[in-house]
Parts: sequence; structure tokens; C-alpha cells
Amino acid sequence: MKKTALKEQKFESPREKDLLSHLVSTSLKYKLWIALLLLINFVGMYAYYRQVKYGLVVTAMRDYTSWGIYISNFVFFVAISLVGSLFSSILKLNKNEWSRPLIRISEIIAVAAIICASVIIIIDMGRPDRFFYVIKYLRIQSPIIWDVIIISTYLVISILLLYISVLPDIALCRDHLTDIPKWKKKLYRITAINWSNHPKQIEKLKKVSKILAIAVLPVAFAIHTVTSWLFATTWRPGWDSTNLGPYFVSGAFMAGAAVIIFAMYIIRKQLKLKAYITEIHFEKMGRLLVLLSLVYLYFNINEYLGPAFKMVGVEGEHITELFVGSYAPMYWFVQLGGLIFPIIFLLFRYMRKPLPLAIISMFVILGAWFKRFLIVIPSLQHPYLPIQNVDESYLHYNPTWEEWAITISSFASLLLIITILIKLFPVIPLKEAKIESETIVEHNILKNEES
Amino acid sequence: MKNHKIRHIKVFKTIFILIFIVFYTNNIYSQEVMEDAIVTLLFSNENDTKIIEAKVSDTDGIPIEEVELYFYVKRTFSLLPIGDGFNSTDENGLVELEFPNDLPGDTEGNVTIIVKIIENDLYNDLSIETIKKWGIPTEISDNTEKRSLWAAAANAPISLIISISGMILAIWFIILYIIFSLFKISEIKPSKYVKSIT
Repeated sequence: MKKTALKEQKFESPREKDLLSHLVSTSLKYKLWIALLLLINFVGMYAYYRQVKYGLVVTAMRDYTSWGIYISNFVFFVAISLVGSLFSSILKLNKNEWSRPLIRISEIIAVAAIICASVIIIIDMGRPDRFFYVIKYLRIQSPIIWDVIIISTYLVISILLLYISVLPDIALCRDHLTDIPKWKKKLYRITAINWSNHPKQIEKLKKVSKILAIAVLPVAFAIHTVTSWLFATTWRPGWDSTNLGPYFVSGAFMAGAAVIIFAMYIIRKQLKLKAYITEIHFEKMGRLLVLLSLVYLYFNINEYLGPAFKMVGVEGEHITELFVGSYAPMYWFVQLGGLIFPIIFLLFRYMRKPLPLAIISMFVILGAWFKRFLIVIPSLQHPYLPIQNVDESYLHYNPTWEEWAITISSFASLLLIITILIKLFPVIPLKEAKIESETIVEHNILKNEES
Repeated sequence: MKNHKIRHIKVFKTIFILIFIVFYTNNIYSQEVMEDAIVTLLFSNENDTKIIEAKVSDTDGIPIEEVELYFYVKRTFSLLPIGDGFNSTDENGLVELEFPNDLPGDTEGNVTIIVKIIENDLYNDLSIETIKKWGIPTEISDNTEKRSLWAAAANAPISLIISISGMILAIWFIILYIIFSLFKISEIKPSKYVKSIT
């Protein structure tokens, strides 16, 4: 099936064949992968059906631990969505040409992550039907409203960033791909919005892309800073910190970079893109990950040193719980396995090769997820007012199967969105970087013709 | 054998009924008839010493001695006991207590004083309420009406509304401009030049 489809489809260049062949053919492996993700999603949906039917009582969340793994997961998804801005804005504006093939991967991950973050926050609500009350009875003083506004803004910007980056290639798919289903042809035709590589279109797109690259930066910083304010404005040990905004943002960039590396490794292997995602890319990403991890380490030291030195009251209890208490194994796994060891390992050149780097990134990602768990849950278990005369279940938090099923299915949804977007659009720009002067010359010729 | 058993049951039944009748009649005759007491309150305020004097008498106007009275001031959610733990009437049926000077009242200083007879052996329960202007007038804070972070949505601080709306408008203006530009891009038709170079 795969071979016949590929035979019928003619490509204009080997580059085009390498980058577009996965859009034309569908392998059995791909189908099985989609089936697995859908299966996980169905289990998650059943768990969510139970949650809606019986209420949040099916979760382990109670009066004290009222934010569980849903919110840790939400913070994690918001964090990795920041990676889109890292590539589309920071690296692009700094003219890092090497990062060009990775921009689209980062934007796809950003879009998928922010969609999942938006959904998980509604899942966390006991009465999802009341979500629109948040907008109807909007209270501008509430950080939750700021979060709702900024997430929806970032979602739109992320979709625009991805769309603008992929637009010329959609047109190319529309023009060059013949052996594809009708719906796909229609999709390319509609989404290509009459793109014809006209110099005026190119010029306009460049301008728009630059504006967006600048505009996304404050929004990206705001989205995670506002998420950190949800905690910083709540009076609990571990959250009562002025450090929380930059601490969250730096952690997000580190987690995002690790996710990109892992995605690069999988995409490179599955789509056979070794010639396009090269060892140099891994080398550079490894260096970038060390830099971002060091910044995050600095904020971590700031976050824990002050309270640990003073050990005051409940704040001290919280620190003790993390350092030597029941959360100590997780805490030290996160700090050592997800932060310090990766920094040390990545200082060696061999460790920045694709496979070791992907494994290290996996640890960084795991560390980043559990780090969010440690930010959310232990703090909630140490309120400033003493806990008295409550049910035993209020004192501990062990997520139920429904919570795990929904959380795992949110990851499956993330992977599903990423897989579908990769299947629909070329993951690496089809046109090689054009020297800017060439476009200017073309534009000048056109102007002369018109005059 | 069977007849013997039935006879036994009958005997038990009769004993049970007899015991019941004895207890029941005893209960009825042992109960004393409860009377109503009359409590009259007198309030005096001299040199900032506020005194409540309560006089307890029976329906014939004869003072009653050793009746326990309970004094309260009505608060928002419950009754605040005032006076000593025990306030019993003397041989003239009188009991006196000093009203505290530091109790907050409503906006005009009104407080509701409640005097009760509770679970007395001889007299029925009783509760009388009197409103006196003996409290400290409470100034109702208009914080909820002021623009503040904790106020209702309609009273959000102006600076906050302006800064947040400003930021939202700025970023959404850019987003709309980009969407408009994409619309403009879609309107550019391929020219001869483009056709010739593609």
C-alpha cells in the first residue's frame, strides 16, 4: 500500500521526497500508534465520564489538596508550550540559522501542549458546564481570569505562528501532491489561502512573521508568569515567594528544550530525516539545554535556600517534608536526576550525541513533570491554619485510577495532536533558506515591471 | 405441654400490663403543675454605669425568690451571655447586673437584651427581649463599596482595569492585524512574472 502510493506520487526533488513522502503514505506502524493513542484516550474518557457522573469525589482531591495531578499536569503543559516562543522568537530573532529546521517541530509541540493545557483545566473543574460563568461573571481582579485570558491569547498566537511558518509549504503540498485523498486536497486548498509565492506575499508574510516573533515573547513570558501567580498569590508555604515567576519561566524553557530534543530524536528516526536533523542540531540543542538548566538551577537554589536556612514554622515543615520527609525520594530524583546530573553529563561532548541526549532529555522531562507535582501538592498539605478534626483522607493525596487515566490520556492526546499535525504538514521547511537579497531582487524586478 | 406454655405467656403479659399502669399513673401524679412567672425589667443609666434590674413575680404579683435568670445580648450569630455565671433573685424577687460599656451595637448603638428563665423546676421557660441604645454605634465599613482587589467585579480598581484592558487590546490588535494581513495575502493574485519564474 505504502509503496504503490509512493510510486504514483512524483516528487520534484529528493528533498521534497524526503520531506513529503510521509504525508502521502500511511504505514501500519502509524496506524497502530494512532490506535494505541485512541485506546488510551477512550480509557481516559471513561474515567472522565465517571468523574462527571459522580463528581470530583472519584479523585483523591479533598479540602486541603484541592489541586492534584491535574493542575501539576496543567503547569507542565503550559511549560512545554513555551518552547514555541523559544524557537520562533528568541532563536529566530537572534538569527540562529541552525535552529530553522526545528522551528516547526517546536511550534507543533507548542500548539498541542497549549490545547491540552486548556482542556485539562476544564477537566479539573467539578462542574465543567459552569466554565462559561468564568467569562460571564468575569472578575478582573482574579489571577485565574488573567490565566484564562492569557492562555486563550497564547493559543491563538501559537496557532498563527505554526500556520505562518507552514503556509508556503501547504501551497506546495496543494500544487505538488497528487496522490492524496480528496479531503486532504481540499484541506490544502483552503488552508493555502491562494498562496502563489508571489514576492508581495512573501514580503508580507515575512513582515507578519517578524511582528509575531516579537509579539509572542511578552505573551510567552506572561503565560507562565501568570500561571506562577496562581500559586504566588495563594498563601501557602513554598508559594509565598517573589522568585516564582522567573523560576517557572526558566523551568519551562528547560523542559521545553528537553521535549524538543526528545521529539527531534523520534521524528528523525521515524521519518528518516537524518540528513535534515543532524548531529550538529543535537550538539547545539545539548548546549542550549545545559545553559537553560543552569539558569533553572540558579532559581532553584534561590527558591529553597532562603526557607531552608530559616526553617520558620510551616515553611520549615514543608522544606523538611521535601528534603527528608515522605516526598524526599521524589524531590531528590527531580533535583539530581532531572537537573544536576543532566548538567554534568551534558558537559561531555559524547553525551550530546542523539541517543544519549534523548535519554538525558527523557530524564529532564520526567523531572520536570514530578517537579510540578512537588510544587503543587506538598504545599497544599501544609496550610498555615492547623488541620483539625478532619477525615483521614484529607491528610494524604494518592491519585486515584481515574486521575491517572485522565492524566495519561492527556499525554496521549498531546501525542495524538502532534502525530496528526506531523502527518498533515511537512515538519521541516521544504525550501532551503533563501538568501534575503534574492527576495529583494525579485521584488525589485516586479516593481519595475509594474511601473 | 403446649397449654402450660400459653398459661406462662398470659401471666407475663398481665404482669407487664400491671407494671406499665403503675409506672404511668405514678408519672402523672408525680408531675407538679408548672406556673408562669412574670419578669419585669428596669433599666437605669447613671454616670455611665448601666444597670439592668429584673424583678420576678408570680401571676399574683408576689415576688419569687431564688429564680435563676440568664442575661444575653444578641449578636450576629448567637447570644452573648452577660453578668455573672449565676443570677438568682433575692427575697424581693430582684436581681441586678451591670451592663458592659464596651459592647458594639448597630449603627445607632442599639443592642437587643434578652432575659431568660431556662429549665426551672417550678416555672415555665420564658424569654423577653428589649432593645436599648446602650451599645457603641458601629460604623459600617464601606470597603465593599470601594474599588479594591477584594471587591466585586463591578468595583475593580480603575488602574487594574486600564492596565489589563490595555495589554489585552494591544496584543489582540496585533493578532487581528496579522489575521487581516493573511486575508490580504490571500487576495494577491499570481502575476505573469510569478508564473514565468515558477
